[in-house]
Amino acid sequence: MKTLRDTGLLFWRSALQLLRNPAWLFVSLATPLLYLALFTPLLRGLPGVAGKGTGAVMDEFLPGILALLAFSAGMGPGFNVIFELQSGVVERFRVTPTSRLALLLGPILASVAGMFVFDAVLVGVGAAFGFSVHLAGLLILAALAGLLAATSAAFSMATALSRKEIQGFAAVVQGLQLPVLLLAGVLLPISLGPTWLRVIGHLDPLYYLVAAARSLAASHLATTATWHAFAVLVPLCALSLAWATTLYRKAVA
Amino acid sequence: MTRAPIKATVTTTAIEVDGLIKSFTARGRTVEAVAGLSFHVAPGEIFGLLGPNGAGKTTTMRMLTTLLPIDAGSAVVAGIDVAKNPRQVRQRLGYVSQLGGADNLASGRENLALQGALYGMGRRDLDRRVPELLELLDLGEFADRRVMTYSGGQRRRLDVALGIVHRPEVLFLDEPSTGLDPQNRANLWDHIRGLAEGGTTAVLTTHYLDEADALCDRIVIVDHGRIVTEGTPEELKRKVAGVTVSITLAEAQRDEPRARTALEATSCVLDVTADGDVLRLHVADGSAALPEVLRALDGVGVGVVSLTLAEASLDDVFLAETGRSLRDGGPAPTGGRHR
Repeated sequence: MKTLRDTGLLFWRSALQLLRNPAWLFVSLATPLLYLALFTPLLRGLPGVAGKGTGAVMDEFLPGILALLAFSAGMGPGFNVIFELQSGVVERFRVTPTSRLALLLGPILASVAGMFVFDAVLVGVGAAFGFSVHLAGLLILAALAGLLAATSAAFSMATALSRKEIQGFAAVVQGLQLPVLLLAGVLLPISLGPTWLRVIGHLDPLYYLVAAARSLAASHLATTATWHAFAVLVPLCALSLAWATTLYRKAVA
Repeated sequence: MTRAPIKATVTTTAIEVDGLIKSFTARGRTVEAVAGLSFHVAPGEIFGLLGPNGAGKTTTMRMLTTLLPIDAGSAVVAGIDVAKNPRQVRQRLGYVSQLGGADNLASGRENLALQGALYGMGRRDLDRRVPELLELLDLGEFADRRVMTYSGGQRRRLDVALGIVHRPEVLFLDEPSTGLDPQNRANLWDHIRGLAEGGTTAVLTTHYLDEADALCDRIVIVDHGRIVTEGTPEELKRKVAGVTVSITLAEAQRDEPRARTALEATSCVLDVTADGDVLRLHVADGSAALPEVLRALDGVGVGVVSLTLAEASLDDVFLAETGRSLRDGGPAPTGGRHR
């Protein structure tokens, strides 16, 4: 039960670090709200939602932003690992008998928890502008978003551990960001694209979350989109966690 | 999950290193960073690994602290085999890395409490231990300030405190005083001495001769992954040049030849060189040679203005053993493996 205790300790450590970083808090809150503020007017002209009012645009658009938040929530822990490798924190912990899994789970869970807070703010603001809140759907969506955030956090931490330098890590993250976000149809529906684009879209894990998010937010609970999302995200999360733990167990030079 | 009990053999040594080897491969070239090191450290001893950058000091320390796998040879720390039982040995050793690694956004107190908890210490134990450490390392005043506001010396003392939260039997310090001003260095040394007096065994790496000299009970000088020589600072220095005696003569031009002849005739003086008004003699043992030197000069009626003794430095030892000066540093043969 050392793992559980250590995870709790390191969760609080990470959570406190996030709370004590006002710049990070501000940007994390401002970015999704800016998306809403700047994109919603733009999307009003889109076929299908045109003329239906702000609420309808929100219903279409806000679930995608929740998915985007899940993806980007996971990047923070990776950057932190790079910093902590260079400042000796990782080494300090590695010499203690701390559970190796806890070293990963603490920051991952903290970033997921942080994401939930920002999600709640986003949904609250969205609701004020006409987003229709369906609680059951949003709770299932929260589970899926948590899975994706944990996957992306484990992936970013493992990438950071193997790259060790900010340049290598940033190259991987930025290289992935555009295709992952675009193919998932976060900002623009992928259905606007040609067949080949839609086919590649299916290789993008975020695509499944976005699809499920749209149907769940509309209160369609047991759709194939939801099942597909669970079927993709559960094993993917397990895989990325296993990969990261293996890396952590091996020498982190 | 039950484990076989670990046999912690009660020995008179805190560390036993035998034939330790580590090689790295970089760009198709394999370099032995540690090429068969063997040494023992007694409990309560302050032991120094001295050598230039790239000598293999840090690599050795990283193997002893479970951070790097051992290629060959054995290392037993606090009675536990490092390679076989890394988890158990972690509980008994403390490590202060070159970088330290305290959390900038947390206070000193919070850092210590978390570190202790990760070592499995309970709240009640920590409630006693954390204030004790803050006092021991003079951190009380800054205990609740965030570490990012600490000065270099305060931060280094916190690093040491983090290394000893769990009362380890052996404390490893990698380049403990790098980047500190002389006052803070001396202060840190006092703290390390205090720990050793309390029974903690301390192993430190350094490339500062004065640090090894001032702090260590015993030293090994390492170069290219091998031990060049071993002993107490005094022993090592005695091994080389002994003591240099500098004598300023009152009437150098008149007396120098006579003084030189008289000194060379004594049994204790190894050699004499003249440098302006000053004669420099090498003697094996300063305190034994001094009366004889003075008697010899007095015997031939040579007046002396001043006389100083200078101990041989560890640099002289390094120079004598390797043919290079430690201060030159020279290119690191393993390519700076410090992280």
